[in-house]
Amino acid sequence: MSKGRRGDKPPEFRPGAWLLGTGPEHDIAICTRARLARNLQGFRFSPCLDEAEARDLYGTIVSRLQKPGLPDALAVVDLESIDELERSVLVERHLISRELAAKTRASGVAVDPDESVALMINEEDHLRVQVFAPGLQTEEVWRRTERLDNALIQRLPMAWSEEFGFLTSCPTNTGTGLRLSVMLHLPGLVWSEEIDKATNVAQKIHLAVRGLYGEGSRALGDFYQVSNQVTLGRDESQIQSDVFLAVGRIVQWEREVREALLRGSARTRTLDRIHRALGVLERAQILTSEEALGCLSALRFGIEEELLRDFRVADVNRALLLSQPGHLQRHTRERLQPEERDQRRAQLLREVLGCTP
Amino acid sequence: MARLAACGKNGGRLDSSVMQYCTACQKAPATIVIMDLTEGAVTGSQHVCAACAEQMGVVQQKLPPKFSPELLEDLLGGLKGNKPTRPQKSEACPGCGMSPTEFRSKGRLGCPRCYETFRHDLMPLLQRIHEAQSHRGRLPARVAQPVPAPEEDRSLAELRRRLEDAVRGERYEEAARLRDDLRRAERGEGAKS
Repeated sequence: MSKGRRGDKPPEFRPGAWLLGTGPEHDIAICTRARLARNLQGFRFSPCLDEAEARDLYGTIVSRLQKPGLPDALAVVDLESIDELERSVLVERHLISRELAAKTRASGVAVDPDESVALMINEEDHLRVQVFAPGLQTEEVWRRTERLDNALIQRLPMAWSEEFGFLTSCPTNTGTGLRLSVMLHLPGLVWSEEIDKATNVAQKIHLAVRGLYGEGSRALGDFYQVSNQVTLGRDESQIQSDVFLAVGRIVQWEREVREALLRGSARTRTLDRIHRALGVLERAQILTSEEALGCLSALRFGIEEELLRDFRVADVNRALLLSQPGHLQRHTRERLQPEERDQRRAQLLREVLGCTP
Repeated sequence: MARLAACGKNGGRLDSSVMQYCTACQKAPATIVIMDLTEGAVTGSQHVCAACAEQMGVVQQKLPPKFSPELLEDLLGGLKGNKPTRPQKSEACPGCGMSPTEFRSKGRLGCPRCYETFRHDLMPLLQRIHEAQSHRGRLPARVAQPVPAPEEDRSLAELRRRLEDAVRGERYEEAARLRDDLRRAERGEGAKS
């Protein structure tokens, strides 16, 4: 455990779980994430905390995290010590939320070197525990989360009651505080216009379907997050199995529509769409982040269905990350105007993908 | 294969962002989704309007509500007014100073004590969000040994949980008995069961 000091650059992490392109059902399920909302006894919840209390709380949590024996080695990044650009890099890597990035008071994130664990401090709840794994691995992710939560409960006096379980600031998280989500790549359902149907069915069984960056974000590049909505009245293993079964069903649905898109007359249209996207990535001189995500989604689809052989999914995932504004500017080591960004993005994506037109 | 019909909230449209028309008559907006289930898995779905759904015989108009927060509220109605230790509805939370108006406008609680202070507003809210009002799952008590809740609070919570279960299961006689037990327990007379 090491603590970031003011002015330190955040440590360089190895590629996070969602970049690996491995794990069960990895052709469709990119990454599984568990999130626990926890609050400490003796402190008001975040909406009521004043500046001094927030600092006190931050100090308490960081000092307790430094006690030995946590199942994961964590490095704390003090968000007050890094600038807006570095914060957006952390958001793009899914380590912190956009809400936390926007905070102006004492807050931070504790991350393990594999980026498979990230504890947000002073977000909407005092502590937001996140555990990631590639592919569809709800059971494994829950097991790791439970182990980490046990260790945190030994160190920190959590707020809870017999009746309501873990007490959270927002009633949508009360009870287990567990939100289990799977990031899915669903180009088949989007291209065959079945996605609204899939979303409706998921909502009927109390699952939330959101865009790439969670609440309120759009489903760019055909990427969706599916998660449980209910946190009270169902225990953690029920939630785990609800999400696992429902996501498994969506994965199967996506496979079926992909097959249909590659049969008969639809096949040519699908191939055309994939190759056009490749053409844009190889030739375009200006690429917005939205267009890049759309093209990379098509490319990923082509690779997963073995229609394109010269590319690797891991490179596409890396390209997805590097094409985001924060990473792009960090990579080029300068602040860029939107138009310059779009030019650099086109250039960078060719380099990452090894495109030689 | 089984068929399952689900309605949009308050009988309204299924999704506020996507307007869909009934696939049967193509005229009215779809308010019901009929899902085909094979071995518990959804194998197909169809969006229809209420009139077509009724014609197809998959839904009955105006089904009596099986369970609603209002029903529970009615049952609990007798309990209101005999909780001298609970703060009045209009009072701010003694733990954090949050006012009822603030809680209602923000939808966020200010501290652990808010769960008791705003109980009256919170319970129907939890019911709406989770279709449940009490926790099933892990508790720190079973992991570490923090200060346990007083014995009395625990038995009250247990009684409330059993009451909810009884109402949900439409076992109204049992629910009425549990309500009386709860009333006695809250007055400190001890439950009789």
